[in-house]
This record gives sequence, C-alpha cells and structure tokens, in this order.
Amino acid sequence: MADESLIKRNKLIIIAVVSGLSGIYLSPYFPALAAIGAIVAVVWGADAIRRVAAYGLGTGVPSIGQLALGMGIVASMFGLAIVGSVPLAGPVVALVTASVFGLITGLFAQHVIKMNIPVMISGMTEIAAAGSLIIVGFGSAAAGSYVFGTFVQNIFSSGIVLVIFWMGAMSILHPFNATLGPDEKQKRTLFLAVSTGAVTMTIIGVAATMILGSAGIITMVIGIVLWLVFYKKFWDEVYKDAASVVGTGLIPKTEA
Amino acid sequence: MAEFLLLDPSMLMNVLLIAISGTLICIGVHFVPVGGAPAAMAQATGIGTGTVELAAGSGLVGLVTASYMYANVPDASMALVLAAGAMGSMILIASAMLLGGLVYAYGVGVPFASAQVKRDPITGDTQEDYMSKGTQGHGIPTVSYVSGLIGAALGGTGGSLIYFVLIGLYSGVSSAVISSNAAAIAGMFAMGVYYVNAVIPSYGVGGTIEGFHDRKFKRVLPKDTLTSFIISLIAGILAILIAGGM
Repeated sequence: MADESLIKRNKLIIIAVVSGLSGIYLSPYFPALAAIGAIVAVVWGADAIRRVAAYGLGTGVPSIGQLALGMGIVASMFGLAIVGSVPLAGPVVALVTASVFGLITGLFAQHVIKMNIPVMISGMTEIAAAGSLIIVGFGSAAAGSYVFGTFVQNIFSSGIVLVIFWMGAMSILHPFNATLGPDEKQKRTLFLAVSTGAVTMTIIGVAATMILGSAGIITMVIGIVLWLVFYKKFWDEVYKDAASVVGTGLIPKTEA
Repeated sequence: MAEFLLLDPSMLMNVLLIAISGTLICIGVHFVPVGGAPAAMAQATGIGTGTVELAAGSGLVGLVTASYMYANVPDASMALVLAAGAMGSMILIASAMLLGGLVYAYGVGVPFASAQVKRDPITGDTQEDYMSKGTQGHGIPTVSYVSGLIGAALGGTGGSLIYFVLIGLYSGVSSAVISSNAAAIAGMFAMGVYYVNAVIPSYGVGGTIEGFHDRKFKRVLPKDTLTSFIISLIAGILAILIAGGM
C-alpha cells in the first residue's frame, strides 16, 4: 500500500503511545485528557486497520475492530490488575501485554491460518496495542483513575465498560469500513477516525457525569466540539476528493 | 505469589479449561452457516451476516442465560450452567435462522439449496435442481440448520465454561475489589476471549461456510483449532494471574 501517506506509521505510533499514556496518567487531575489521548489511539488503530484490511480479510472490516478490543480488554484487565501495589506501571504493562498478545495472534494468523497479508503481524500488534490504550484511556476518563480498584468499582459494576468496548470498537472499525475502496485516502479516513473517537468521547462524558460530576461535563463538551470540527473536516475532504457533488432531487412521480 | 498459584494443579486445570472453552467456541463457529454479504443478497447459502456477528450474538445470549442460571440456582453445578449457556445460544441461532428462512422463502422468494452437496445429507433431497445459475446456493437448507444448532451449542458451552471457571475463581480470592465484582470481571473476560475466538476462525473460513458438510470445514478446522487453543491458553494464564496478582 504505497500511497501518499500524510503521517508515516512510526511517527503515528510514537504520537499515539506518548499522548495515550500521558492522557491516562493525567486522568486523576483532568479526566478529559485521557479521552483525548484515547482519540489519538483511535486514529492509530484506524490507520493500522486501514493498512491491514486493505488486503481484504474475507470477512469484513468490523471483525478486526472487534478482535482489537477483544484482545485489548483481556490485556488491559491483566495489566491494571497484576501491578498490585505499583499502580503507576498498570497502563504500561497493559500496553505491553496487548502488544505481545497481538503479536502472537498475528503470527498465528499469518503462519498457521495462512492469511497471506504481509503486514498482518505488525498490524495485529498495533491494533491490539491501540485497543488497550482505547480501553484504558476512555475507561480512566470515565472512572477518573487508572488504578484497578477505582477503575473496576466505577466502570465495571455499572456496566460502562460495555459502552467503552462497543463504542471503542465502532470508533476504530468504522473509519476504514466507511471509506474503503480504490480511492481511499489516509487523510479522509483519519479525519473520520477523529470524529468517531470524539463521538465516543461525548458518550463517555455522559457516563462520566454519573461518576465524576462536572468533570464529565467538560469531557462531553470537548467531545462535541471535536466531533463537529472533525466531521466538518471529513465532510470537506469528501467534497474535495469527489469528482463532483450534485443534487439528484426527488424521485420523479412517473417513470421516465 | 502469582507463580505459586499458576503452578498449583487446580490452577493449571483452570487454565486448561479456559483453553478448551476457547477451542469449543472456535469449533462452534465452523458449524454455523454464515453467508456474509453474498447470502444477504441470496447468492450464497447461509445466514446473511458475518461470522463474528452471529458467533458473538449467540455467545453473548449464552453468557446471559448461563450467568442467570449461576446466579439463581444455589450451588449450580458446572453441567447445569453449561447446559443453560448452550440452550441460550441455540435459541438465538435457531430463531435467527428461522426468521432468516422466512425472509428468504417469502420475501426474496428463493428455494433453499446448498451448492456444496448434491443431496442434503439429512433429508436426502436433491439440491442441484433448485440452484439458481451463477449463485453459490441460497437460503438455509436442513443440513445447514442442524449444523448451526450444533455450532451454537458448542459456542454457548464454551462461553459459559469460561464464565463458570472465572467466577468461581474470582469470587474466592482475598482481594475485595475482585471478589465483590467477580461477575462483571468474569463476564468481561469471557466476552473478550469470545470475540478473539470468534474472529480467528472467521479468518480461517474466509467469510462464508455452509456447515459441517462444506468442503472447507475439514480443510480449515485443524489449523483454526490449534490457533484458538494457543491464544485461549495465553488468555487463560492472564485470567488466572489477575486472581493471584493483587
């Protein structure tokens, strides 16, 4: 897929990991930052999906988004729980565990199931890692903490984690699923990824108002603003990339 | 502490049970007649949606019925919980196939025919005469229906087995956070493992499969099963370590 990528893969990985993790670590002070970090992870995940799924998975793009969050949630719960008395290490352990889990899944998909996708192994590692950042990022934005005890108490018992799972999966699988085709462009797909991430952030903000009160409202408002801004940017890209945009009018009453 | 826990025979048994449940889910997916987008246009045999959607849908219903049984029957035995999970999954798949069949028969107007076999292995009816030209069969023939039910039973059993193992483990640990939220953690973990094991075989079958009579079935089952077993084994180790790590 040697197209004119605006953001190179390695640069995107570094940006996403750094902003995702720093957002999570700042979540006790300003929960909205964790959600913004998670949006960057959504962009990373969506970019990894567009690189892998461009080869054709045979089963639709949604499957890989659900796989990402499936691996992400298993690894995240392990990472946050295992560190015990050193909660600071939790998000990093979750990220590393997810990467290893993704790497093993990728190796098996490539060499045992024989999917013949050259970027499968690296792609699977990236989407699992992004999945973990999304779960912990949006999770700590809603819970106000990345410490396992508070995390579980606030979002597991209330069922908010299910919303994070589904909205997170939708936000990374939808961008490529909606824009795929021969004229798919990275810029357009990633603008849509920011807007789907922002929709998730808005919903997480609503959930956070039940737990954190006013901090949740801030998350929600930032989410709405980001969504409007980036959906407009995506809209403009669609208009720019289209050969022409014409109104078709209503369907005529009589057959011509 | 965690290492001691993991090497304990009963913990090894739990890891193995989770690996087996993942494998059961994987095998179950192969039985479900998934047609994907072609089936949605009645151009391939099976239910017109993706493997993951069907497997996950039936698996999650199985999880709900299994957890209901676990919560409401005092000291529910493993067999009872697994049977509840299998029943839930089978009910969902059966109703999906029944309603899908009604739409294919009376909405789209196609006879049910399989492209993979000349005669239905169960009813013995000829298939070729009812095939439309240029399609890979259409609708849900009897053999696919039965195959789907078997698949749902396996998937539901697998999903509820993970839940049963984990909730028993988590509700007994010393950490108050885990034991008081055992149902939620075990449920989410089961869901995560379910998704991973629903997607992996769907990559193996490449989107569409008619059921156990499909030629693909024998070809892809061994490698998908191996993959699922290893991946679920890793997930099982992670799940057990959560209980010991705190």
